[in-house]
Amino acid sequence: MEPFKDENDLIAELRALRPRPSQEFAAGLDERAAAGFPRRSGRTDSPLRAFVARLRALPPRRLAFSAGATALATLALATALVTVNGAEDSGSPTMRLDSIGAHESGGHLLSHLNPSRGSTGVEYEAAPSVSAGAVGGSSRGTDTGPFASKARHREVERSAELVLGADPDRVADDASQVFDAVHAADGIVLSSAVTGGGAGYAGARFDLLIPAAKLGDALAAFSAIDTVASRHEATDDITAPTVRIGEQLRDSQATIDGLLVQLAGADSDGARAEVEAELQAERRHAASVRSRAAKLDRRANLSRVSLRIETGGGSAARDSSGAWGVGDALHDAGHILAVAAAVTIVGLAIIGPLALIAFFAWLANRARLRRARERTLA
Amino acid sequence: MDPFGGRSKSVNGTLTATAAEAPSTAELAFDRLYRSSRDDLYAYVASLVRDPAAAEEVTAAAFERAYRKRSRFDPGRGEPRAWLFGIARNAALDELRRRGRQAELAVDPADLVSAPTDESAEASERRLALAAGLAGLEARERELIALKFFAGLGNAEIGAVIGISESNAGTRLHRAVTKLREACDGAL
Repeated sequence: MEPFKDENDLIAELRALRPRPSQEFAAGLDERAAAGFPRRSGRTDSPLRAFVARLRALPPRRLAFSAGATALATLALATALVTVNGAEDSGSPTMRLDSIGAHESGGHLLSHLNPSRGSTGVEYEAAPSVSAGAVGGSSRGTDTGPFASKARHREVERSAELVLGADPDRVADDASQVFDAVHAADGIVLSSAVTGGGAGYAGARFDLLIPAAKLGDALAAFSAIDTVASRHEATDDITAPTVRIGEQLRDSQATIDGLLVQLAGADSDGARAEVEAELQAERRHAASVRSRAAKLDRRANLSRVSLRIETGGGSAARDSSGAWGVGDALHDAGHILAVAAAVTIVGLAIIGPLALIAFFAWLANRARLRRARERTLA
Repeated sequence: MDPFGGRSKSVNGTLTATAAEAPSTAELAFDRLYRSSRDDLYAYVASLVRDPAAAEEVTAAAFERAYRKRSRFDPGRGEPRAWLFGIARNAALDELRRRGRQAELAVDPADLVSAPTDESAEASERRLALAAGLAGLEARERELIALKFFAGLGNAEIGAVIGISESNAGTRLHRAVTKLREACDGAL
């Protein structure tokens, strides 16, 4: 038998071996092609598979558009939820932001949080575990150990910051009422400045010391003077330094007593002079400790209050009538954008790693599938 | 733009669409791809899965997948026929994996012997020797020959389908044909 003459001869024979589809199959496939390849009956895909198949069939541009629209809708929904929840949930950190924003803008979308004249919308910044009864009290835990946590009574320093919004022509009157309120509370005006002028320029500033026991009443009185733009109270637990100072004072007194005994028993001028020198040094030390104790005592008994009266332009109540203006709208828009940005960041922080894991899993699965397919031909 | 513009071959039957459902450009292009590739794709798939019924199933599934993904085809990334044959290759290999069978060529010497032909006994013997030679090649070599001589793909398309360069495809193909010829010459 003759071998193949050349490569072309071989190729011609090869082409003759080409498998051909049956007439029935070809006709059936043509029909399906004409009908747009409908899904064959009997093939029941799970809803998830069908959904994935539908997604995979989408053109990339349309898929990106759909994904973008979904992400945007989710962001809008989350922002709305966060904003509404923040407004409703007074215990949440968001409420703190909203509350401040409401005080500052003087009347806008979150107007139900807005303090009216004499409002007591307050942001508290409290030291932990401070018992109400001890706040402002001056009893020292001298009968306890050196650790503040063991002290039976707490020494707490309180301070407050208050901003009142006022019309320019009311500043002088409001300032006068502030002095009256300080006087009524037996407080001290450390410094004050009252400026006249138009909106944005007129204003007043007071640095006050108010007896801690009367701080609440004094703040209520200040808040009643005009519209509260913002109010901030803080407490600082000073029990530990107070206890330490007390102990130092006792130790110092004991040392002085001991030195006095030594001085009485000194039998020579040299010994007496040496003891007196020690006594003087210890008395200086005791005086310094007493001075620090007095300062702590003052901090516990007198609360520092910073009070400002502002008019227009600034963060004070610009519109005491409560009407919602362009400035408020801009403020609200900024607030909503900030919330949206926060939601986006949190969302990305959650979705980003998950997407990365999913992407690597997809890559790994793709590589595994490719290897498995190639192994079939090996 | 016609993303599936390609060579045309005769295929029995005509794809029709009703006036109410006027086909889009993409559908017309896919129609042309289908017409030009139906028999070629079947020949290639049949060579891989070595079972006519499975070949029909895989061919239909490949066209179905390609039809569903037609909007995602990017002409800038290759020829439409290479894209279609890539889909068919994956489907065929998945079928083989599912069935746990090794891919082999559809050419079965026994089929050729029993094939009713009016050619001479010598021609039949040559064909039988060729089929035996094909069966003796490695699966990857047989796939190359099927893509080239059964499906009619160019070297660039073959490279795109199996993921190698055009020159590499040409080199491998030449080696496979030489090996086949040597096997046939030895048998004859």
